[in-house]
Amino acid sequence: MLRANDNFAPRAETRVAYLSLVSFALLTIAVLIGTMIGPAGPQWWRVPIELVDRLPLITVDSGVSPEEWNIIWQIRMPRVVLAVLVGAMLSVAGASYQGVFRNPLVDPYLLGVAAGAGLGATLVFTLRRSATENWFIDPLPLAAFVGGLVAVFATYMIGNTFSKARSSATLVLAGIAVTSLTTAIQTFVLQRNNDVVRQVYSWILGRLSSATWGDVRLILPYVVFSCGVLLMHRRLLDVLRVGDDEATALGMNIRRVRLTVVLAATLGTAAAVAVSGLIGFVGIIVPHTVRLIVGSSYRRVLPLSILCGAIFLVLADIPSRILADPAETPIGVVTAFFGAPFFLLLLRVRKNQA
Amino acid sequence: MSTLGFCDLSIAYNGVIAVNGFNDILHSGEWLCLIGPNGAGKSSVLRAAAGLVAYSGSVAIDQQEIPATSAKWRAKHIAFVPQTPLMPENMSVYEYVLLGRNPYIKHFASESTHDKQVIDKVLMRLDLAQFAKRMVGTLSGGERQRIVIARALAQEAPVLLLDEPTAALDIGHQQQALELVDDLRREQGLTVVSAMHDLTLAGLYADRLVLMHQGSCVASGDAQTVLRSETLAEFYGVSARVHHEADGTVVVIPQRAISN
Amino acid sequence: MKVLTRAGFAGLFICAAALFAACSETNSTTDTTVVVDTTVSEVAYPVTAGGVTLETQPMRIVSLSPTHTEMLYAIGAGDQVVAVDEYSNFPAEAVALGTKLSGYEPNVESIAGYEPDLVVISYDPGNLVEQLNSLDIPVYIGNGASSFEQAYEQIEQLGALTGHLDVAVQLTSQMQADIDAAVAASSVSATAMGESITYFYELDNTYYTVTSNTFVGQIFELFGLKNIADGVEEGNDYPQLSSEVIVSSNPTMIFLADTKCCAQTPETVSVRDGWQKMDAVVNKNIVQLDDDIASRWGPRVVELVKSISDALALVAAGK
Repeated sequence: MLRANDNFAPRAETRVAYLSLVSFALLTIAVLIGTMIGPAGPQWWRVPIELVDRLPLITVDSGVSPEEWNIIWQIRMPRVVLAVLVGAMLSVAGASYQGVFRNPLVDPYLLGVAAGAGLGATLVFTLRRSATENWFIDPLPLAAFVGGLVAVFATYMIGNTFSKARSSATLVLAGIAVTSLTTAIQTFVLQRNNDVVRQVYSWILGRLSSATWGDVRLILPYVVFSCGVLLMHRRLLDVLRVGDDEATALGMNIRRVRLTVVLAATLGTAAAVAVSGLIGFVGIIVPHTVRLIVGSSYRRVLPLSILCGAIFLVLADIPSRILADPAETPIGVVTAFFGAPFFLLLLRVRKNQA
Repeated sequence: MSTLGFCDLSIAYNGVIAVNGFNDILHSGEWLCLIGPNGAGKSSVLRAAAGLVAYSGSVAIDQQEIPATSAKWRAKHIAFVPQTPLMPENMSVYEYVLLGRNPYIKHFASESTHDKQVIDKVLMRLDLAQFAKRMVGTLSGGERQRIVIARALAQEAPVLLLDEPTAALDIGHQQQALELVDDLRREQGLTVVSAMHDLTLAGLYADRLVLMHQGSCVASGDAQTVLRSETLAEFYGVSARVHHEADGTVVVIPQRAISN
Repeated sequence: MKVLTRAGFAGLFICAAALFAACSETNSTTDTTVVVDTTVSEVAYPVTAGGVTLETQPMRIVSLSPTHTEMLYAIGAGDQVVAVDEYSNFPAEAVALGTKLSGYEPNVESIAGYEPDLVVISYDPGNLVEQLNSLDIPVYIGNGASSFEQAYEQIEQLGALTGHLDVAVQLTSQMQADIDAAVAASSVSATAMGESITYFYELDNTYYTVTSNTFVGQIFELFGLKNIADGVEEGNDYPQLSSEVIVSSNPTMIFLADTKCCAQTPETVSVRDGWQKMDAVVNKNIVQLDDDIASRWGPRVVELVKSISDALALVAAGK
């Protein structure tokens, strides 16, 4: 029999904490595996021993030479750390976009950040031939970052000009228009400079293979800031699930929430894209997988997307570096390779549920 | 317990006037029902009060005009039940009703213990406790209507606006929903404004009816005053008989054209 | 940077030339390969060239650039090469190494796995130099040459770095001499015809071409040939021409640089719509070039020059 002071709240908060802990443990394991596996360097079982040796006050002989350790620390570790940052960022950005636009099929590239970054990169590759090679700051990530932001800014300006209403559909359409225009410009520029086509194509496919500690330092503040802001908005994204009108009637300033979320997600995505190119599917696969496990509430989906996105990309980077040894398989290919069957599986599961 | 006043409320969509200077005052605890043909402006009045469309003129609660800038203030004082609420399939009933507490929860914070107590109370009152963990997508039409009302109640607002609350319900659930609203009104002193198509039901539950036509109020008063066959014929274009029951209930009966 | 390098290796050049002028042999042959003396010379280390400083002679060189692979083997540093990229298909010794690194999607760990003491690349796909430097591996970058001088400079820089400067210098002078001879021999016939010859250079079967501003375009300029793609698209040195433009320009000669990639031959060209009546097709002045030789700026560029020279001789004879 139900009494007046029974509490019917689902144990939401404790469940999130528990799942986060589990995910974090899985992430640590994934990072460890990522550090152990590679085409060169020490034997895989020596790596954890060496890592333990590196801890203060502990000395263990792992048999790893300084050159081998150098490979781990200078080449492999930045790659794994970058995978954590980029995977987390793209996932949470994808989940946030899905919340803002109430469409489970949007990815963080919806409003044009990918096309803008691609154009920025193309221009750098094209102009680099005549400009000096040794600039003080590497122009490539900067141009990609700025390009991505400018494209989304343009989308927002266009979307707001043509519709004073609160509807998000106009924004999506503006994003499509900006993406098409930017891609057309990029194609035109490439057409006139097709000696850089190969470099641009390679950049577009996305890679973690060129990761350096400098790249990690570059994007860390953006990713941390962006994830922080997005996490703060998770309850608000749940309110948005009942639609623009009802959310407004429930006291929410939807334009401001939408703008803040889009801005934060775009900032982080642009940073991620600037150093790793366009890695696709992560922004869609991971949030959906998380939803299948923990349900659709953004209070659970956002934090878990961060962790699971990191795990996914760290693990996806492993075949990327050993499948086509001694060459690299672009990570965009690996994520798509997993992405396509995943979608089919998702459709199958949905069909069985319905 | 609050009074609700509309003063010179006018709404235009793209230059087309939908509501033309609507004036009305409801005393606290009153139930006003807006009736009228499609496009008369009934929904527009409700949506304006809920802050969903731009309007000129004013809407005031306890003589205090609703500030245009504070959606939270408005949500704490006016609860709106839309005609076709968007029902997210994979949201639990508890989470859905929790949305009603949004105006009270600080922007980035989570719900407090007090918020949870309010929700528990509302769920008990509306007999939804056993559904708390169920997903919204698994509920029937009548149950969904109840949870939308539950959410509105969770807002603890003195004014309740209902846009076609019975449109998607069968006759049994229609009665349940309206009885529920009436009970709540009496318990908590809610001031209710509803827009309805069913004239008999409107007359049965509302204290007062306002008949709207092309954006203006053309008749106001109780059921007997407003629901006359010549009035209905003039504004609805319907040919109907109006029958008065012994207990005062007014029944509107559409008439078939006489077939020879 | 460049001034120091030039001063640096100019000094070495003078020393080396003076020291070995009397002892070295030069072979000139009538066939198309350039053969030079491959004795390892005693060059003092450390040496700086091309922005790279090496403390000792590199014995584990990794080359990710097919052009520079050819250069390394031609200057006698072949024994010092331990790995090359997948496109380094000449000479046979390089292929025999059996390594297939990628210059476009480099796997830095794999490269490091060879424990190189010098890595040679022709372009940095992104952070590659930085990553290799963080492992204390020196990297030599030889960007695509836009002139013969740059090509010679790269050969000599590699010579200095690998300890074969004298051989490298010999090679470049030989190349220069051979090219000058080939040009001189046929310029005579070109001008004797009293009209300028136009040509179309085909990069692939969708009619991408090069202008005279490119390295290969400049070779044709040596012979006084006129490129039909010049001025077609301002600022674009690799334009794509349309079939109509090519047909209406009616070039005297057509050079096919897509014989390997796209299987183009004089036969396939002659059956293209609208091409049958072109002068080059009718007179059979279609020259097949080896894709690789035509796209690299290494020692085999001499073969390219000689192919053009031979083709011109046929044209002159035909007229």
